[in-house]
Amino acid sequence: MSDATASGIASAAARSNRRDIGIKRRYAAERRFKAYGIIAIGIGLCFLAILLWSIISKGYTAFWQTEIRVPITFSEQILGTPEDALKSETKLMMANYPRIARDGLVKLLDIDPSNRKAVTAAGKLISSGTRVALRDIVLKDLSVIGTTQDVWLYASSELDSAMKGQYDLSVPENRRPISDQQLQFIAKLKADGAIAQRFNWGLFTFGASSRAETAGLGVAIIGSFYMMLIVLALALPIGVAASIYLEEFAPKNKFTDLIEVNINNLAAVPSIVFGLLGLAVFINWFGLPRSASLVGGLVLTLMTLPTIIIATRAALRAVPPSIRWAALGLGASKTQTVFHHVLPLAAPGILTGTIIGLAQALGETAPLLLIGMVAFVVNDPATPMDPATALPVQIYMWANEAERAFAERTSGAIIILLAFLAIMNLTAIFLRRRFERRW
Amino acid sequence: MENMQATFNKGRAVQAAIPIKMTSRDVTVHYGQKQALNGITLDIPERQVTALIGPSGCGKSTYLRCLNRMNDTIDSAKVGGEIRLDGEDVYDSAIDVVELRARVGMVFQKPNPFPKSIYDNVAYGPKIHGLARNKDELDEIVHISLRKAGLYKEVHDRLDEPGTGLSGGQQQRLCIARAIAVSPEVILMDEPCSALDPIATATVEELIDELRENFTIVIVTHSMQQAARVSQLTAMFHLGDLAEVGPTEKMFSNPDDKRTQDYITGRFG
Repeated sequence: MSDATASGIASAAARSNRRDIGIKRRYAAERRFKAYGIIAIGIGLCFLAILLWSIISKGYTAFWQTEIRVPITFSEQILGTPEDALKSETKLMMANYPRIARDGLVKLLDIDPSNRKAVTAAGKLISSGTRVALRDIVLKDLSVIGTTQDVWLYASSELDSAMKGQYDLSVPENRRPISDQQLQFIAKLKADGAIAQRFNWGLFTFGASSRAETAGLGVAIIGSFYMMLIVLALALPIGVAASIYLEEFAPKNKFTDLIEVNINNLAAVPSIVFGLLGLAVFINWFGLPRSASLVGGLVLTLMTLPTIIIATRAALRAVPPSIRWAALGLGASKTQTVFHHVLPLAAPGILTGTIIGLAQALGETAPLLLIGMVAFVVNDPATPMDPATALPVQIYMWANEAERAFAERTSGAIIILLAFLAIMNLTAIFLRRRFERRW
Repeated sequence: MENMQATFNKGRAVQAAIPIKMTSRDVTVHYGQKQALNGITLDIPERQVTALIGPSGCGKSTYLRCLNRMNDTIDSAKVGGEIRLDGEDVYDSAIDVVELRARVGMVFQKPNPFPKSIYDNVAYGPKIHGLARNKDELDEIVHISLRKAGLYKEVHDRLDEPGTGLSGGQQQRLCIARAIAVSPEVILMDEPCSALDPIATATVEELIDELRENFTIVIVTHSMQQAARVSQLTAMFHLGDLAEVGPTEKMFSNPDDKRTQDYITGRFG
């Protein structure tokens, strides 16, 4: 320090002699570069926020469904006696349940049954899906016949949308789906506490329906689940086996180079091409059924394989060679070295790659459209051979519907799909963090 | 320090007519077009420490890796000449490389324990070679190996902790224990102390001297002092040639070859 002060003048002279290398400019450039980075990230976050906000603000209402508590009289007149039902279920299956529901509501609202216009208007407040709901109640317990029970019934999508404030009620009556009379009914139901918004379990369990209130993602979730299982069961073992062979055993020559280039190119092939391939090979040639999750799973497997192979090879390459030498030096065979030491160390990387590949496959739509998974499937598929749809395809189908209630369901379905994707990616991150520490 | 001196003195006492464990005749190695070894002829005496010294890139590690065919793992490496272990040609197709490596163990430059428990590190070799019939026998092998490697006292109460959690010197002794556990006849050591501090180095050197009772040891080292302290026979490599080989005592006091003289006095290398 004292040396520096003593020779302060000399060093100042030396400094002035030194060539100007633009220290200030260098720092300015650094600051500018940082600012660009922050701006870029800011723009990205901004768009993400807008996207999430628009989806969530439109879609959160889909998780709530308006229901009406109606005293239902299961009249023997309409349903027949329990004794009749034991002999033949046909009458019970075919009975006019909407009429029962409407009669209940008419009674609840104190409408004169002879006022046909009012009765029809009241009937339109209840979802036609009550047919199935009421039939299930009766079939489950025949003793309800002849009694009167309070039942929560799904409201029609018009009433649901009106309750959620999605209609502009200030326009003239003939320009909105809810009439003034129906508004009066709603006000009365509200006053009685007979109308409520409840959690919409149906969104997760129902299949396809042309009525928004009974349309759900049940079939799509099961279809996507089957496809993920098939992709996992096929792509993971095939991909890992191929990677291990290429990385650890295959000789390095022109042919293996060619394979490597091809795998990397396959990862960049547009997914719709895999759909065409699936249509040509699995459906036309192998004769597998259209719309089946099996075919969807096979197509997505082809699509996911390159991703898994690339991730697995990177994970294998990241295992330090000293571990291989240690095992080989002890007299372990190549296979023992790979399976006892290299593969366990590469496992977190492989799992991460696999989950990211699966997440990609879960969000894939285009190839599924080509193999006919864009279908109106009402019943839950019991096996992967049965017709099914997939989550993103269901979103695509709902987005094409005109009704206001389908718009919120589209966004709701997107929220569910995003939640699945987020869970998968978080799992990938968690696995990587959890297991990477060991090494 | 006294210990080292004692080791040094022991090293001087090279006995005559020691049986030969491994012989190599005119061993050449090519990496692709490049020749790394130009015909090495060297006899490795049984239950002695043979040190391979020489400047970087002289081929001593390459030669070491020929002895248990670790060069097989490098695609471009081509080995010529003849190497025999107890009279058997190790590059003969009748010799199984797995069996060879069980007989000729190896310890590497950087400690490379498996990311498993201390116990599993040592037990791995005996397991894959079927040396233990049951858990008790395996326990015994692990304990004996750790004792021989001078590590037992330090780790006996935490055998199930990861081997990677040990200090560098302990890790290297763990690697030695792992190599001993398969009861090899020869142990190859490729600069085993280059990543260790002087204290850990001294421990490992003492260990090497003790291991000489039961094993034939070949050690590659960059440290002249280490070669002088632990070895009985020293071979000087230079640019792929064997410059000189002789009893360690003679090599460090009165070398015949000019290159050896220059190298050990620090004039090049």
